[in-house]
Amino acid sequence: MSKKVPAWQAVLRGLGPRGMALRIGAPVLALLISLGITMVLLRVTGADPVSSVQAMVDYGTTPNSVVDILNRATRYYLSAVAVAIGFRMALLNIGVDGQYRLAALLAAALAGALSLPAPFGQILTIVAAMVVGGLWAAIAGVLKVTRGVSEVLSTIMLNSIATGLIAYLLNPKRLAEMRPGSNNIATPQVPSSGRVGALNGALSAIGIDLPGRLYGLLPVAIVVGIVFWVVVNYTRFGFDLKVSGLAPGAAEASGVSAKKMIVVTMVTSGAIAGLIGMPELLGASYEYSLNFPAGLGFTGITVALLGRNHPLGIAFAAVLFAFLDQTSDVLQEVEVPKEIVGVMQGVVVLTVVIVYELVRRFEIRREQRAVAGELATGHDLARAGKGR
Amino acid sequence: MRRGLKVSLVALTGTALTLTAAGCGGKKAATSDQKTVKVGLAFDVGGRGDQSYNDSAARGLERVKKELKVTTEEISAKQDEPDADKESRLRLLAGKGYQMVIGIGFAYTAAVLKVAKDYPNTKFLVVDADQCKVSGANVLGACFSEEQGSYLVGAAAALKSKTGTIGFIGGVNVPLIHKFEAGYDAGAKKVKPGIKVLPGKYLTQPPNFDGFKNPALGSEAAQGQLDQGADVIYHAAGGAGLGVIKTVGAAGKWAIGVDSDQYAQPALAAVKNQILTSMVKRVDLSVYDFVKSVGDGTFKAGTKQYNLANDGVGFAVSGGHMDDIKAQLDDLKAQIVAGKIVVPTE
Amino acid sequence: MPDAAVRLTGITKRFPGVVANRDVDLTIERGEVHALCGENGAGKSTLMKILYGMQRPDEGTVEIDGEQVVLRSPADAIARGIGMVHQHFKLADNLTVLENVILGAEPRRFGRIDFAAARAAIRDMSARYGLRVDPDSLVQPLGVGDRQRVEILKVLYRGAKVLILDEPTAVLVPQEVDELFANLRELRAEGLTVLFISHKLDEVLSVADAISVIRRGTTVATRLDPAEVTARRLAELMVGSELPTPELRESTVTDEVQLDVAGLTVRTPEGRAVVDDVSLRIRRGEIVGLAGVEGNGQGELIEALMGIRPAASGTIRYGGVDVTHWPTRRRREAGIAYIPEDRHRHGLVLEAPLWENRMLGHQTERPNARGPWIDRRGARRDTARIAAEYDVRTPGIDVPAGALSGGNQQKLIVGREMSGAPKLLVAAHPTRGIDVGAQAAIWDALRAARAAGLAVLLVSADLEELIGMSDTLHVILRGRLVAEVDPRSVTPEDLGSAMTGAVS
Repeated sequence: MSKKVPAWQAVLRGLGPRGMALRIGAPVLALLISLGITMVLLRVTGADPVSSVQAMVDYGTTPNSVVDILNRATRYYLSAVAVAIGFRMALLNIGVDGQYRLAALLAAALAGALSLPAPFGQILTIVAAMVVGGLWAAIAGVLKVTRGVSEVLSTIMLNSIATGLIAYLLNPKRLAEMRPGSNNIATPQVPSSGRVGALNGALSAIGIDLPGRLYGLLPVAIVVGIVFWVVVNYTRFGFDLKVSGLAPGAAEASGVSAKKMIVVTMVTSGAIAGLIGMPELLGASYEYSLNFPAGLGFTGITVALLGRNHPLGIAFAAVLFAFLDQTSDVLQEVEVPKEIVGVMQGVVVLTVVIVYELVRRFEIRREQRAVAGELATGHDLARAGKGR
Repeated sequence: MRRGLKVSLVALTGTALTLTAAGCGGKKAATSDQKTVKVGLAFDVGGRGDQSYNDSAARGLERVKKELKVTTEEISAKQDEPDADKESRLRLLAGKGYQMVIGIGFAYTAAVLKVAKDYPNTKFLVVDADQCKVSGANVLGACFSEEQGSYLVGAAAALKSKTGTIGFIGGVNVPLIHKFEAGYDAGAKKVKPGIKVLPGKYLTQPPNFDGFKNPALGSEAAQGQLDQGADVIYHAAGGAGLGVIKTVGAAGKWAIGVDSDQYAQPALAAVKNQILTSMVKRVDLSVYDFVKSVGDGTFKAGTKQYNLANDGVGFAVSGGHMDDIKAQLDDLKAQIVAGKIVVPTE
Repeated sequence: MPDAAVRLTGITKRFPGVVANRDVDLTIERGEVHALCGENGAGKSTLMKILYGMQRPDEGTVEIDGEQVVLRSPADAIARGIGMVHQHFKLADNLTVLENVILGAEPRRFGRIDFAAARAAIRDMSARYGLRVDPDSLVQPLGVGDRQRVEILKVLYRGAKVLILDEPTAVLVPQEVDELFANLRELRAEGLTVLFISHKLDEVLSVADAISVIRRGTTVATRLDPAEVTARRLAELMVGSELPTPELRESTVTDEVQLDVAGLTVRTPEGRAVVDDVSLRIRRGEIVGLAGVEGNGQGELIEALMGIRPAASGTIRYGGVDVTHWPTRRRREAGIAYIPEDRHRHGLVLEAPLWENRMLGHQTERPNARGPWIDRRGARRDTARIAAEYDVRTPGIDVPAGALSGGNQQKLIVGREMSGAPKLLVAAHPTRGIDVGAQAAIWDALRAARAAGLAVLLVSADLEELIGMSDTLHVILRGRLVAEVDPRSVTPEDLGSAMTGAVS
């Protein structure tokens, strides 16, 4: 008999069905259920559910919105991957938020001061951001390994410390530049040689014309996703990571150094976190200011949960969340409070989590039955191997 | 104030030439009367009901609605959003045919300038335009001299203080709020050089904008300054300031409100007699002026400074607690208007 | 005729993939000690869970005192006077005996816990049933036997008239077993009914008034009279065939020392020595057994050998090389194989497929890996080989390890650890909780590896296994090796005495 994995752990580690049909069926089922619940909620708030959803879809599919959604999804995706790496071994990196903000600030200050020919400036900036994010996350890892401090607590506190540190550094006397009369404070602008151009040009060359500016660093998110997938599935490190998450005791007995894995995982997670701010910094804002998007680290946690820690799942989740966030404005325009979007996101995550857990249990039962059944009918590898 | 305060974005279909068929998802009376002028207003984070900055903008919109017979639309901003969100919000309104679009809060500056280029027939207003700089023939930036109004309430605080110690509580540690503090400090020291102004207390650091929203933070900070002997406390903390005023009022000391005349706010009725005055920032006026100018064809692109000279900022006298020192303050005001006193902003 | 204390009729319980109960009929009379025997996995536990309200039968009826009942939860069962003493104790270490006993059933007086009344009740029960424990002692320092008595008191305190004891002797040494049996006789004398689950036949024969045997989910014999049945007959009923015996034939011990442990001491984080100055040698081709009551430092010694726990002092030399400070992975790569005590927690990833479990502990070695990359094809092929060679009953290598039975899981682990020509095997309880067939297969594997020159450290709670499979046998007590006995001449009783420190 197999020991049961507690539901919450299964949820965190992204356990789910293994069979292909269920893998695709489960999320579709979950989304349909959550759509249904959302419709009911809209109805309850007095709106017309069909026309509300219609308005969201209409608005969300305009070319401008598509660009915004993709840009937003890029940020969500990187953030969720950073979180998911930790989740894979049951490490809860709540500090992605602080890691990426601090990384973005310092990288922005560096990029603003650099004037290297492309692509060296860009590469240096991105590497610097990853290093800063990784180091900041390493603090939590080292604290856990040497002092047994829960990474949840330390990363939450490190978020606050990062906020304070950023407030201190983002000052005309330090990293920010003086702009008389401005209500904003920002680092010096990244020189044009250090920026990353929009993707629109490249896309129109292949016949896709989009308005606005699609992040030039969007492909980085795709690369991160692919690397994540390859590492988890095809490398020894990925195997160790997976085992550490699923069965820490077995991992230790198998020779995985739990301490080393914790630190390495935290650093990797932090380094990816460092990337979160880069598309915006190098492709849109060119400075770190008070307006720099914050809170992405927390969105990432939800998106990672929704995406089941799977690179492709996270991609869908990121786009879905980006779509919902993007279209929340249009809901206000049809007199639905924008808060309903937050409720919708919550409903989606809850439904997915519950459906996955139910499907997973169903599948375990089915598998055990199948194993017993096949053994009973003589389909047995042991016997087949012996030629009996 | 910063975006934690409010940004309102008013979009108005001035002459409503086009029948905006896109209209709204269902229940808007968009097509009822082609002559109706439509104004949309989108707030920054916090939105309507923050008892302060956003509500001031909302008041301007209400007045526009009543006096100029326009209909309005409001959209609130989300927390922690990047510029792209503000941009798409403006685009959403402009794209629906609103002919006036207003962004409240300096965070909208870049977004307004960008979107305005794509919608030359739409008039845009950005309140608290960053660095008081805008461009484009269809953009107006409203700027406020908060430091001047703060100077006068600072002087009032110093004159009314019995302990010789006064306090300042800012919502979030951003440059805009530093202006309030700088003016307050200078005004107090002008009338009473020996006055002790406690170091300004900022409730939160960006990007945490709770300092403009969470009254509990305000209460706590106010208690701290009361404990240090302050008997007049000025807040520039938006919604969190409600906590400041309630705590100070409950202690029987003087509170000074901000943005609107907080004496008149129902939420503060219980302690209104402890509200000495409020530094009034007429965001409502800037909204009203803008819509009116577009309506009567006198719209002028560029920036407009709201200061003591045109009563864009000032102090409230509700409750009569200022009667004895009003003359003194008016004298200071005259000197500022005349340029004899230059109020620092840092 | 008075009603039976418990009567189960036609109980059937289906689980996916595991042995279910089929048509179980069982009658337990009032005031008797009734033993239920069966192999691990025969369905004893499921049956007891049904009786204790933790599972509901798919078919069949449960009668208590002649009345048909439906037990929805343990609380229902307790209300009907049925109590269960679990194999693994559920006591709070930092509470007193008294507090543990009344926890969840506190007597109240004026809204406060009435400790005085509780203490009196416990004293009274202790005296009546001969369950000697001090109600005000902390549980922490108590030994296994005392803890078991606390568990029994807990059940009695809740008014149980029928006590279910799930393998109560598994954790006891022979002397403690005798004490337990004396307690059981007293309980019986006081009119209580005891249902005693075990697979140790001599114990069953010595204490039970009636014996029932369960095999593959169904009762194959009920209410046997211990006076008229032999251990051999019981064993045959349990397994349905002849029992395998652990034994070694001729010695294969060489004089080449593979593992040389000298003065090894392991401390808890608090500084207490749990392995205390242990020295032992294992030569190639030798199986060294380690006997001891659980919790006397065997687990810590093994973890220190595997590099999971640091040594506070002393040295571990492996093949002549000092490996004391090597990390686990380096030791495993050097050829130390490991069968952990708890295969679910330390030996397998239950959610992962068999082929990934085959890599576990060998994820840096061929055929599982090439450089930093996983060699999926190599690992999968080798998993199929292990399944065939070690008779792992599975339909394929992609099923999760959790879907296999315990014996097949263990065979996979043994097969995995025997791959890659290990030089030393550290085996903790390699045959615990698995069926007879798998047990015999694992003994075969150990004998074959020994003949091929493998050095083995064997830790087991099964004294017969230890005596039969060891070339050399050490006894560990409170972290120290207190005796070396000759496995060819020692009896389980003598070994048990040595394990408790009664003789040396």
